[in-house]
Amino acid sequence: MSNRTVPLPRSGGGKRPHAIYLAIGFPPAAKSSAYRLRETANQFVAQGWDVTVVTICQQAWEREYGLDHTLSEKVDPRVRVVELPLIREDLETDIRAFTEERSLDPAGWIKRLRKREQKAFPEPVFGGWRYELEKAVLRLHREHPADLLLASCAPYVNLAATWKLWEEHQVPYAVDFRDGWSLDVIGGGEAFTRESVSGRWESTVLEQALAVWCVNDPIAGFYRERYPHLADRVHVVRNGYDEDSLPDISGRSPDPAAGLTFGYLGSVNFSPAFLESVLDAWRIARRDDPLLARSRFEVRGHIGAGAAREANRHMDLLKEAAVDGVSFGGPVPKAELAATYGSWDALVLMLVGGRYVTSGKVYEFMASGLPVLSAHDVDHDASNVLAGHPLWTGAVGLDPHRLAHSFTEAARLAVKATDADRAAARDLARRFARPAVLAPAVHQLTELVRPTGAGPAAPATTSATGDVRP
Amino acid sequence: MTTVLIVAAAAPKQPAVLIEALERFRSRGARVTVACFFDAADLPIDPALAEVRSFVVPAEKRDARLRRALGRAEANRKLWLHAQRHAWLRQRYRAADLLVALDPRSVHTVWEMAQRNTRAGAHYGLVPAQRALDAPRTEPVGKRLERQMTAVAGIGTRGAKRAAVETVRTTVQKATGQRIMGNPAGAWFWSRAVAAPRVPDRLRSKLAVRLHDSAVKAGRPAVAARTASAAVSRISSAATRADVLTKAAQAELALGHVPSGLHEAIRAQLALADARLAKDPKKAAAAVSRAWSLASNRVLHFDRLSSPMSDDPGAFLAPFRDSAAARKLSEPRGRLAPAAPAPTDRPLRLLVTTLINDNFLQEILERYRAMPNVEVRFLDLYEDPATRPLALSGSTVMEHLLGAESSYGAKIEEWLRPHLDWADTVFVDWCQATAALFTLHDPGTARIIVRLHSFEAFNFWPHLVDFSRVDDVVFVSEHLKDLSTAVLPQLAGAAAPRLWVVDNAMDLQRYPRAKPADARFTLGLVGFSSVAKDPRWAIDVLRKLREHDERYNLTLIGSNFNNRTSKPAKDYGRLLAKDLAELEPLGAVRRYGQTDDVPAALQEVGVILSTSVRESFHCGLVEGAASGAVPVVRDWPFFAGKPHGARTLFPADWMVGSPAEAAERILAVTATEQAWAEAGRAASEHVLKTWDWSVTRADYDRLLLGD
Repeated sequence: MSNRTVPLPRSGGGKRPHAIYLAIGFPPAAKSSAYRLRETANQFVAQGWDVTVVTICQQAWEREYGLDHTLSEKVDPRVRVVELPLIREDLETDIRAFTEERSLDPAGWIKRLRKREQKAFPEPVFGGWRYELEKAVLRLHREHPADLLLASCAPYVNLAATWKLWEEHQVPYAVDFRDGWSLDVIGGGEAFTRESVSGRWESTVLEQALAVWCVNDPIAGFYRERYPHLADRVHVVRNGYDEDSLPDISGRSPDPAAGLTFGYLGSVNFSPAFLESVLDAWRIARRDDPLLARSRFEVRGHIGAGAAREANRHMDLLKEAAVDGVSFGGPVPKAELAATYGSWDALVLMLVGGRYVTSGKVYEFMASGLPVLSAHDVDHDASNVLAGHPLWTGAVGLDPHRLAHSFTEAARLAVKATDADRAAARDLARRFARPAVLAPAVHQLTELVRPTGAGPAAPATTSATGDVRP
Repeated sequence: MTTVLIVAAAAPKQPAVLIEALERFRSRGARVTVACFFDAADLPIDPALAEVRSFVVPAEKRDARLRRALGRAEANRKLWLHAQRHAWLRQRYRAADLLVALDPRSVHTVWEMAQRNTRAGAHYGLVPAQRALDAPRTEPVGKRLERQMTAVAGIGTRGAKRAAVETVRTTVQKATGQRIMGNPAGAWFWSRAVAAPRVPDRLRSKLAVRLHDSAVKAGRPAVAARTASAAVSRISSAATRADVLTKAAQAELALGHVPSGLHEAIRAQLALADARLAKDPKKAAAAVSRAWSLASNRVLHFDRLSSPMSDDPGAFLAPFRDSAAARKLSEPRGRLAPAAPAPTDRPLRLLVTTLINDNFLQEILERYRAMPNVEVRFLDLYEDPATRPLALSGSTVMEHLLGAESSYGAKIEEWLRPHLDWADTVFVDWCQATAALFTLHDPGTARIIVRLHSFEAFNFWPHLVDFSRVDDVVFVSEHLKDLSTAVLPQLAGAAAPRLWVVDNAMDLQRYPRAKPADARFTLGLVGFSSVAKDPRWAIDVLRKLREHDERYNLTLIGSNFNNRTSKPAKDYGRLLAKDLAELEPLGAVRRYGQTDDVPAALQEVGVILSTSVRESFHCGLVEGAASGAVPVVRDWPFFAGKPHGARTLFPADWMVGSPAEAAERILAVTATEQAWAEAGRAASEHVLKTWDWSVTRADYDRLLLGD
């Protein structure tokens, strides 16, 4: 990590340093990024910081991913959460709130909205939030001077507020870029050029950043190559899993006579064709394997948003597959995660993208101690994470016949797995427990800012992965 | 009891989702009606779950007022106009506790209903509606009263406003319509009004497009051009100017005319592209793309009996040659290393590639796959649905070429580089997207051969090909080579690729078969689906022959005439249909239909015609001649009088200049059975020894293997 330091803590006077954390999606948003955001804020508090989290109002999440108040229970009570009255207008479903113009042409209205949003900042959907976010960070800094701003993207419009605070008050900042912006993580390659408006924003903001966090090595590699002079400031801070999401793994004994239960938990954010391949594979496996013919496949999570919530092609495919023992049970509150995993015998890891995508759920799936069936590209970062997992089927791509074989293999693993196998799988995942991933990253950021009174040192990390050294 | 009204504009694509929602509504004790803007039979739902009723007013029950209102209304408002006409639906929405729009088109109808039932919740989507049912809204009476008052006032105000807007709109529409623009006084007035000072660009441009359209429809193209030109001279924004001229040209093309302001529109777009080239290559690419869309429009080249491109390529393409942005598309970027010589220590790796059309590749693939010293791979860029979209967008290629680097370029590199690395020789059939994509990046040491057939010369794709990365260009005839070199100056000069003329690969041995005696009176035409084939020319010949002898008849082989491509094609198709309606019942014309067994179809044909206005070679004619039918070839007008054309391709005695000459030749050659058979035999011998694959394959060996 770089030796670049910022000498002057702003809150001074022996007080705890103050971090403004732009974390849209912070609990109680039932969003997959909420766990990373929560752990980051908790780590800052644990390491001696005052933390002000900036997110958007709860009503906004009701329209999108929903709310899970059990997620907030584990937020350190010292974290101050400021909810801005920002909301995605495009997801409004109360027709009484529509103007006549919008009612006459809902799609056209949204198209025009997108154009307007991008005038403020080059990001569809969220670009229009720029000025409110800028005003908010300036106000928060006035109220309680900040020593650091950490912006978690997406949305990338957070970068505008980050830059504003830097321009006006030179508040040092870091960017938790997670999946990056100028990288097309699904297709690979560049999402936009450096000369584009987005490209200019990205390079300008990253130029002054103390640190840039990414969720895996391929994404970090992309950024190091794109901005070679910033290479030493780009760090891998992986997603991880939460201990309290994990089921009890001792003494499990699946009952092959009654059939097994396969499960998927996460947003259904892949294409219908993708889901169709997995369901076809499931059907083939059930046709060929009597154990699977007796088994069930439960899908849990969010499907669609706004007016299309649970009313899209994915839902149709899942309902068509009901005769094949497939069911959809909606999202799972955080508090019920462990019980949900505990009711399953094997997990189906459905992931889009390739080498640049890791996703958060791979860590949770891994740590569950259950057999994991990979339904994603062979060259996917999840394969790197899962390598060595004793109950992993391996990645075979998305060909239904090959995937069918994986279902059979996962069933075999579920039946024959011992407590020792499950414990070994969980041990392998330990290095991805959220505190193990985020504590060193927050510590290093703290070191860079060097505020007086910062908390105790956290374990060192490897420079390449952010993982804890053995 | 809670009552729910769901409005659906179209039968839902996810009926299972709707049914499940209805089950949930029922489990909460709600009574549900689904009002649909389609046939209720298309939504088979258990009546115990919901009442399903259509609210479409049938055409025969629409009174003049409704028809008028429907004619003026925006698309989604039409649903509401229908809905208002049903007493049952009025009763349902006034009584409903919950109004639900199932799809985007039904949102406005629910919005209107919600203005009239201020008590009900109004939601878009089933899940939000279910949530509302689970957590009913409680609001103070005062608030609801306020909403009621606002809604009532809104209904009145909107009604009055809409009526006023409609009146103004109708008046303006009429005042700028065909009738006024067809009248000299009206045209005079508007051509001055549209150029009046201090009119905002946005308004002026809209008015100009409308006036232009009306004048064209009124049959006054000169007035149209004058009006557009007067408006444009007053518009300050280059983009708006280009937009007006382009819309005017597109309107004329849609009517099947060659636009009077075509070049002006093309020049305006290219000027815009040039101005934006440095700062905004993406916008520059969009402007060049629009210019090429106008210049490549099929109405200009394919659905008429002539083309400005073949008449004078230099003049037609002059605006492109004057434009820096357009020139940049064809700019030679060269290659680091020349193509490597063919390997001697292992088989030659030959990649044959196309986009969709592999009709002319079968013999080639078969021959080289069978050769021990050649390893063949075939790649159809259309085959993989994941990469297919990359090959279908000319504007994206333009964007890449003008902006140098792009993620699109990286994707092409990733897709095609393994093929280029593998191949020693790449044979690209059709000079279109495939050729542009294979030369987008340096092809390394692979030898690139591109074959241009015919339509490409009229299209923009060859202008996106980097010929400095092409080693050989193959034409299927001399006249296509002439046209292509006139269209593409980059094919001439020291650094230009080698140019070849190699005949199409055709296995003609399958065609010679004994013909029945009465085939002597049967004319045949293979392929008549487009204007370029000009089947009415054949009908003309037939009519002339039947004036002498009613035994003459015509067999049309192939798929039916396609009149969906443009207005001129539609007009032509209408006339052809009229001819066929008259002649088919008499047995004078027969449509054989499409067949895989062309030799069998040709067995019944005694005289084979080529009536086209443009051909690169005309395989159908040559196959007919191989079958022993006597060839009669129109001097293809696109190339007539030029150094090469049908007259230099075929023996002189096959050629005719007019339907009368054709009839004359046919009468002479079919005068006796013996003369007819003799002429047919001679033609068959000629084509077999000139164009059969056993002869022409040597040219391919020379091209591909250097033999």
